[in-house]
Amino acid sequence: MITERERAMEVDREDGRTQNQLRPLACSRNILHRAHGSASWSQGDTEVFAAVYGRKAGTRKNENPEKAWIEVIWKPKTGQIGKLEKEYEMILKGTLQSICILTVNPNSTTSIIIQVVNDDGAVLPSAINAACVALVDAGIPMKHLAVAICCCAPKSGYVILDPTKLEEQKIKAFAYLVFPNSVHSVLPEGSLMDDYFYCLERGCAESVKLSDFLRSLKQHPTDSSKAG
Amino acid sequence: MEGRLANSWRLTVNDKNFIKTALLSEIRIDGRKPYEYRKIAIKFGREDGSSEVQLGQTHVMGIVTAQLVQPYRDRPKEGILSIYTEFSPMADPSFEPGRPGELAVELGRIIDRGLRESRSVDTESLCVLAGKFVWAIRIDLHILDNGGNLVDAANIAALAALLTFRRPECSLGGEDGQEVIVHPPEIREPLPLTVHHLPIAITFGFFSNESILVIDPTHNEEAVMSGRMTTTVNANGDICAIQKAGGEGVPQRVIMQCLQLATAKAVGITKQIKEAVEVYNTERALRKIKRHPTSTSVNVREKQNQSIGK
Repeated sequence: MITERERAMEVDREDGRTQNQLRPLACSRNILHRAHGSASWSQGDTEVFAAVYGRKAGTRKNENPEKAWIEVIWKPKTGQIGKLEKEYEMILKGTLQSICILTVNPNSTTSIIIQVVNDDGAVLPSAINAACVALVDAGIPMKHLAVAICCCAPKSGYVILDPTKLEEQKIKAFAYLVFPNSVHSVLPEGSLMDDYFYCLERGCAESVKLSDFLRSLKQHPTDSSKAG
Repeated sequence: MEGRLANSWRLTVNDKNFIKTALLSEIRIDGRKPYEYRKIAIKFGREDGSSEVQLGQTHVMGIVTAQLVQPYRDRPKEGILSIYTEFSPMADPSFEPGRPGELAVELGRIIDRGLRESRSVDTESLCVLAGKFVWAIRIDLHILDNGGNLVDAANIAALAALLTFRRPECSLGGEDGQEVIVHPPEIREPLPLTVHHLPIAITFGFFSNESILVIDPTHNEEAVMSGRMTTTVNANGDICAIQKAGGEGVPQRVIMQCLQLATAKAVGITKQIKEAVEVYNTERALRKIKRHPTSTSVNVREKQNQSIGK
């Protein structure tokens, strides 16, 4: 049901999508030979590779040896590794720690490496999705999968999903939401207060679609699958 | 950190002996002949100047970007070309993030020498305002999968990315003609780089038996071989660079044999790169024609039993 408010605020996005439309999704598993698990995820023009090297002995010095440790390395497309990349690594690590079963192999390290191939907006959610698929490909035990979506609010009152780079640059507030458990990683920037629950509701609906896509992917083990 | 070293991959003695014995009868473990190259696949990304090369199981990505900077003081009329090699931990469990190791530096050096010393990229055309503004071309090479022979794959990726890169057009303006105006790609078509010739790197592997020589070693063969040599030649038969860093000693006639082989292979690889670039350029020109976007987006608000429609 489209409410009055939404109808009044429907706006044309540059690539012809409506507010709730995602860009075409594409995903491939097992694309690398040396890595234990690998995946490539693309939403429109944004493309991210993820590789997983599973369970190696030892954790870092000050980490808890009774749990497995997850190490995330984020490689940008070009340029030096700076604060933004470190921030992404931390967010990704927190998200993945909450979905992996850490008590199965204590005192071990799982490395996840993310390589940005092309950044056309919503690169962090794409990376989270790619990392999940790569973890499945590597056979790392997980509680459940996570799907990530980016919502942003160009004007207060309504929300658009999956922005491109151009839209991201114009927008004053956006949030990355990860489902299906309660929201784990939220990065609200700017004033998103009123629209927060609105975002959640939209994101929830969208995550159903993404989960279906992931499920269909697992039924076709090695080939790439496309959605939409 | 220590954990990584403890888990480094080692080839078993049985595997090593098998490879060596097979080579005595001129058989390689992946079925190739000693002087045969693996299959090369060159793909390009959406943006200009990004390439992905697969050489058998080795996967390398090359990205070219450009920036306006001040030139070096001793070369005020020349642009700057710099190569950054990233041995991503994605490629091999023994690669560590952070500072590039010896291999990464050597790889970067070989490709840099091949491009710079042979003057394959015309740096003088990159000058905008002598002494003040020149284009600095930066090539980032990301190694995604180490299946052996990273040098050759990375070299092809760098060349493919350079050939498809377009730099923005700029003109001098302002009151005294000293201001540089960079035109965005929507207003003026960006220009390709001037590349005179393509220096192709070909790597050879030597084994302890003197007469055994292979081209394009896989990473299993690299663990067994006792010496390597990389020759950078172009399709015209010019030798751009040779790199032999340590390893087994090799007689002069073997080196001459390698150079002849390399020149023959370079012709084939150059042709392949040029064909792939042609295909990309045609596709790029077609993309300029605006068409209605095929609606392949996913609509969230649709009912659950409706399939994801086109």
